[in-house]
Amino acid sequence: MMCPEMEVRLNEYVDGTLAARDRASVEEHLASCAGCRGAVAELRSLVAEAHGLPRSIEPKRDLWGDIARRLGKRETGDGKRWWRGALAAAAVLVIALGLYRLVPPFTAHYRPAGGGVGWAAVQADFDRASGELGRALALERHRLRPETVALLERNLEIIDAAIAESRAALARDPANAELRGLFAAAYRHKVELLRWAAHAATS
Amino acid sequence: MTNGAGCLALVLLWVARAATAQARIDERWPLDAAGSVRIVHPAGRVRVVGWDVDSLAVVGTLAPGAGRFYSAGDGHVRKLGVDIPADERIAGRGDLVVRVPRRTNVWVKSATADIEVEGVDGTLDLTSVRGAIHVVGTPQDVTAETMDGAVEIAGGTGRARVKTVSGAILLRGASADIGASTLSGAIVVRAAGWQRGGTGVQRGKFESVTGDVRFDGELGRGGVVEFETQSGNIAVRVPGRTVADFDALTIGGTITNTLGAAQPTPRANGAGQELRFSTGAGGAQVTVRSFKGGILLEPK
Repeated sequence: MMCPEMEVRLNEYVDGTLAARDRASVEEHLASCAGCRGAVAELRSLVAEAHGLPRSIEPKRDLWGDIARRLGKRETGDGKRWWRGALAAAAVLVIALGLYRLVPPFTAHYRPAGGGVGWAAVQADFDRASGELGRALALERHRLRPETVALLERNLEIIDAAIAESRAALARDPANAELRGLFAAAYRHKVELLRWAAHAATS
Repeated sequence: MTNGAGCLALVLLWVARAATAQARIDERWPLDAAGSVRIVHPAGRVRVVGWDVDSLAVVGTLAPGAGRFYSAGDGHVRKLGVDIPADERIAGRGDLVVRVPRRTNVWVKSATADIEVEGVDGTLDLTSVRGAIHVVGTPQDVTAETMDGAVEIAGGTGRARVKTVSGAILLRGASADIGASTLSGAIVVRAAGWQRGGTGVQRGKFESVTGDVRFDGELGRGGVVEFETQSGNIAVRVPGRTVADFDALTIGGTITNTLGAAQPTPRANGAGQELRFSTGAGGAQVTVRSFKGGILLEPK
């Protein structure tokens, strides 16, 4: 088992972003810690597999059209709510996968890789998935109390403004890894908000 | 005629009393010392209190329109709560006090009801749409989510994860692993209790979009703590003797540091300021990121 306090450093070690002094310190630790050596092997394997993934995966057909048509039938009963909940969950998953491609979850000192590999695709994923989640939510918003809808709209405005700011800054400085991190964080907040609202509306 | 009017008045009085009468709840069941309880309570207040008795007891009142109390389960797991038909809106509030064995795992879900938990040492999973959440004690693990309500966790938890949309978050006590995330609420972390037997924050992540984040306390040796906002200000106040590596960056805000002599510099590549300094080896790692909020690092 990896030493918990080494998690961040091992991630950076594998990413090759550690300073020489820190790298030597980590290597010294690895020499005497089988758990951390195992963790490094796993991380390297994960990175290698991630590099082997295609830059983007296109669905064989546009799933949204079918889903929207089914939702449009306004079925009644729990099945309808289940479908919308599932759709919301799927959209969250899509965004979460996009975020994972950028930022390891709850890993300190993350540094999204520079170079723009797949970045445009990730932004497109965000936009498409949050749009789908928003449409699913629109179908259920009548189930929310008016004050909750007002709260939701107020905070969606806040988060959309934050995303627009980050996006504009990224347009000026596209290779800025810190900006990418902040952009991803803002989108993560939007995902959380939509997830919340979808959950509140369907449960 | 007089008798008829009198009867009518009595009937109306009885109907009025029946319509406004509160339903009283007073139930008790055996529950294992480390059992689980799931509570659904839409509106009002639910208070869960740990006690040193192997049983679960519920007392409370339900106002008209608050729904119907129900319970099911056995000595390992019990579900209880207030049920409202799917096609009805919540029209009344209920107040429940649920006493559980101290090590019980507790799951509570509410719509607008405030959730309070005291003296429960098990795992807590608390969700409300618009109610506030208060936890006092030393639960093993806390997950608390609310859209609009405030969250306060006081005492010491092994692990705490708190999320709100616009509610304020206050964390105080001896928690080693804490995460707090809000969109427009404020986050305040107070670590006054950590000197009294705590280890300081070993792992912390505090993030908001527009809300301010304020950390006031001790960092665990080797701990990893992150702060991140879009436009909220971040203030980190730690003891002057703290050993840590600090890494702060803001794109559109300013950095103020009175923890040491190091001062921020313009970013080498791009706009903004950055500041990296260390007060000694082997300490905590503190990362502070803000898009346009100010960053303050200062001694307690």
